[in-house]
Amino acid sequence: MLRRTALFDIHKALGGRIVPFGGFEMPVQYTSGILAEHDAVRKRAGLFDLSHMAQFELRGDDVGAWADVLTVNHVSTMKPFQARYNIFTNAQGGAHDDVIFYRLPDRWLLIVNASNAAKMWGHLQTQAHGDVLLTNRHGDDALIAIQGPQSVSMLAPFVTGDIAAMKYYTCLETTVGGVRGVIGRTGYTGEDGFELFVPGEAAPGIWEALIHANRGAGLIPCGLGARDVLRLEAGMPLYGHELDETITPLQAGLGWAVKLTKPDFVGKAALAAQAAAGDFPRIVGLRLDGRVPARAGYRVLRDGAPVGEIRSGSIAPSAGNASIATALVDAASATVGTRLGVEVRGTEHDATVVNLPFYQRG
Amino acid sequence: MAQPAGLLFSKDHEWVKLDGDVATVGITDYAQTSLGDIVYVELPRIGATLQQFGNIGVVESVKAVSDILTPVGGEVVETNDAIDADPSLVNRAPFDEGWLFKVKLADHGETGNLMTGDAYDSLIAESA
Repeated sequence: MLRRTALFDIHKALGGRIVPFGGFEMPVQYTSGILAEHDAVRKRAGLFDLSHMAQFELRGDDVGAWADVLTVNHVSTMKPFQARYNIFTNAQGGAHDDVIFYRLPDRWLLIVNASNAAKMWGHLQTQAHGDVLLTNRHGDDALIAIQGPQSVSMLAPFVTGDIAAMKYYTCLETTVGGVRGVIGRTGYTGEDGFELFVPGEAAPGIWEALIHANRGAGLIPCGLGARDVLRLEAGMPLYGHELDETITPLQAGLGWAVKLTKPDFVGKAALAAQAAAGDFPRIVGLRLDGRVPARAGYRVLRDGAPVGEIRSGSIAPSAGNASIATALVDAASATVGTRLGVEVRGTEHDATVVNLPFYQRG
Repeated sequence: MAQPAGLLFSKDHEWVKLDGDVATVGITDYAQTSLGDIVYVELPRIGATLQQFGNIGVVESVKAVSDILTPVGGEVVETNDAIDADPSLVNRAPFDEGWLFKVKLADHGETGNLMTGDAYDSLIAESA
């Protein structure tokens, strides 16, 4: 049984094309289309409903130390109003999920992927010990993201506090449209922006007010289709594609988040061994010579022999409309500049290994 | 929603415009709307022989790959180069500049397997 977010009726009224995603009925695009929505985020701003993402609330004196053991990055060193990207790992170093921790003075918010919500809730409960109290807010609280270069000016009138002064990956507990909520200067688009954690019952009013006030400035609703193109251009991993239970953070190019100096954490030994060996298959960026889209699952070839597979792909409006992709390939084929082939419907198309990200904001 | 006059339609959402022995083929407005922003079109080569309703190419949107099932059989005599450079033509003008290819008909009788604009309207009304 699919669930609906607090904004479902608004999506329908806006002509949103609804698809099942992570157990929810979510808009993949609105009437303006994925490319127009992408363009709004890069040049002005877009508004996203991300309420399908799971929100867990963590309280207790032991949260930091407890989470340090379950994840690759530091948690206990986080100060109030910091946000931090992290990955929950299995014993082999593969990823249960990639997440963001938001630390507030009296609690933490943990945001996990919708597709992993049930798995992660189960995992956290079986691992809970000490003074750690878990509350599942999934589907109760809404998450609205405003993303794009105009985000500050569009959002500021609705928020108490100086959001322009917030640093990237910080958060604020304040009021949004007169309602108590948490704001993070975080996002998944490669642009400046904010994510608003607000009670579900307040979400429709906040959404309508933001759109109404900023329609003239070009704020439009954006769906999951645009979000996927934006994150791929920005080189951000999507769980199930660049990262999963068998693809480790090191393979995904997320070594910066893996703190092998931590005393111990799940998967540390496996990741340390992998790092020492260094010869593991890894995620690379590919740019095809032609315009044919490279879709997840297509084979990647080198001199005619298979060396890996496409994990995500799209046409990239922010990279000259090139066909871009991520691929998991052998270490020997992962050097930037390596010429590879992508097999599309039985025909090999030339591609080059390139640096990630494909797009970086100016 | 009335379809343009003078065209025939397949249940796979392609249209055909007959001019003597040559048929121009494209996808319908309904099809391009359903697909969303079109970013790539793969067409048969000129000279290729097509079987009616055969899978002869693809139209790709940002999110999806959709097969082109040719509504008529015959020999491909022309393909629309303009959509190579700008696939969004298929979105903007599916019945005009966004046409896909032209076929020299093998068998005029095959057009009997296609439907009128009114019949096609009924088909898409049912699937709405």
